[in-house]
Amino acid sequence: MTITFRNIHKAFGPKKVLQGVSFTVRDGECFFIVGASGVGKSVLIKHLVGLLRPDDGDIFLDDTEVSRLTEREFYEVRKKCAMVFQSSTLFDSMTCEQNVALPLRKHMGLTMKDALTEARERLSQVHMSHFATAYPAEIGDGMRKRVAIARALTLKPSYVLFDEPTTSLDPVSARRTDVMIRELCDQFGVTSIVVSHDLVSIFGIADRIAMLYQGNVRLLGTREDFKNTDDPVVRQFMSGEAEGPMQV
Amino acid sequence: MTEAAAQTLDAATDEPPLPKRSALTDMLGELADLWRVTLDTLFYTFNHKREKGAVITQCYAIGNRSLFFMVVTMGFIGAIVVYQIGIQTARIIPDMSLVGATYVKLLIRDLAASVGAMPLATRVGAGIAAEIGSMVVTEQTDALRMSAADPVDYLVVPRFLASVLMGTSILLIGGAVAYFAGMLICNLSFDVNPYVYMNFSMVTSGDCILGFIKCLVYGGTIALVSSQRGLRTFGGSEGVGRATTEAVVGSLFAIITLNLIMSTIGNFLLPA
Ligand SMILES: Nc1ncnc2c1ncn2[C@@H]1O[C@H](COP(=O)(O)OP(=O)(O)OP(=O)(O)O)[C@@H](O)[C@H]1O
Ligand SMILES: [Mg+2]
Repeated sequence: MTITFRNIHKAFGPKKVLQGVSFTVRDGECFFIVGASGVGKSVLIKHLVGLLRPDDGDIFLDDTEVSRLTEREFYEVRKKCAMVFQSSTLFDSMTCEQNVALPLRKHMGLTMKDALTEARERLSQVHMSHFATAYPAEIGDGMRKRVAIARALTLKPSYVLFDEPTTSLDPVSARRTDVMIRELCDQFGVTSIVVSHDLVSIFGIADRIAMLYQGNVRLLGTREDFKNTDDPVVRQFMSGEAEGPMQV
Repeated sequence: MTEAAAQTLDAATDEPPLPKRSALTDMLGELADLWRVTLDTLFYTFNHKREKGAVITQCYAIGNRSLFFMVVTMGFIGAIVVYQIGIQTARIIPDMSLVGATYVKLLIRDLAASVGAMPLATRVGAGIAAEIGSMVVTEQTDALRMSAADPVDYLVVPRFLASVLMGTSILLIGGAVAYFAGMLICNLSFDVNPYVYMNFSMVTSGDCILGFIKCLVYGGTIALVSSQRGLRTFGGSEGVGRATTEAVVGSLFAIITLNLIMSTIGNFLLPA
């Protein structure tokens, strides 16, 4: 029950984004991916669920190679591996509850009525039941993020990819989200991959951290490893200094 | 320049040149992608249950977006074309009695569909590309795929069906407006009696069939080309802008190309 990226390459036209990324995420782990903006963190995790295909390299999920599955075969992968997107990405034309109900209807074939009942329950878990019938445009960014998290968790996935889950949340909601992610790992054995810049989250809940830099993994280790590293690039990233060896 | 900076510069110039992508490969890639979207759309059109009300919503959006615009545009175009026909006819034979009969044949066989499809493409195509494009840049299409919903099934098919239905209806209405605008101009400028103008003796069933097929095809084409452009959007709001422009240009190009093909085939199968 592990996730392995092996030698992943990905370019968009002439632009090489990933250049041989390899790492393994262990079962039940809360694994963080950090790195500068535009380094390819979102691109990397989208490969796992087939939203992007690698130019080269293999991706193993539960010991099966997934990167060459067809779109339809990926539906099975997406059932057990959910994703919370960076920009919330609720569907504008649906209410919050309809948004949460969609995966239930599509993946599980539930009727609209059953799916909505289930969806309302999921919304109450993220304290959003008051806004069940609101449209995404009518609620704030942080609330949308919570609905998006509820939608991702509707199918009780064994893997969850979070793309910057705490960005645009107030400090309290951000820490609540951290607690929730940690609980998912500890209580439900969910394996989480979290993309984040939020140092409080990183040093609060990460089991291991990988830092991407110039298309590769610069450092992979525990929180302690990151605190004690001698690598000037990693140190600059962690301390957030403007001056240093890090190139954009 | 510091030594380090000079070194970086050296390293940069040592890099192999970026591979050049030719315009031809780009275009072939686009065409292949359009073909895939078309096949998927047709597949889902005949094989899938649609969300309740999705097509109606799109019909309303398309009709609302373009009806008034099309009526005005086609009215002007009709008036201008008939005025020009009248002036040129008067130079050769000062007999205006067949202007209406010739014009209506031309209108039914080609102009109503092909000329009308152009303003329709700017209005409907831009709207479709912008909507789908902004869903792509905000990752909504990725979220759809995560929910086991194919964006083609969910976004393109309702727009395709609505565009075929409403596009055809609007082109027919536009054609009628162009016809009556012509009648008005004929009467005011050349003193042609409306009864004389309304002469359908030259129109054959072949003209009607060809004209109608063109309307259906253009309606579908605008939706397919614009959706494909929308689905390929990348790069924030700038990308949406680019997709919108490309959707309009692509739709116009497709309409003109398809008109050539359909008119050629039509001349053999349904001769004028
Ligand atoms: N569909 C695409 N077409 C072309 N380039 C792309 C595409 N998707 C991503 N990119 C490019 O790949 C690079 C990595 O993007 P990505 O979104 O993964 O960055 P990121 O590390 O998640 O940054 P951020 O922290 O800002 O979210 C960016 O430079 C982006 O411009
Ligand atoms: Mg990102």
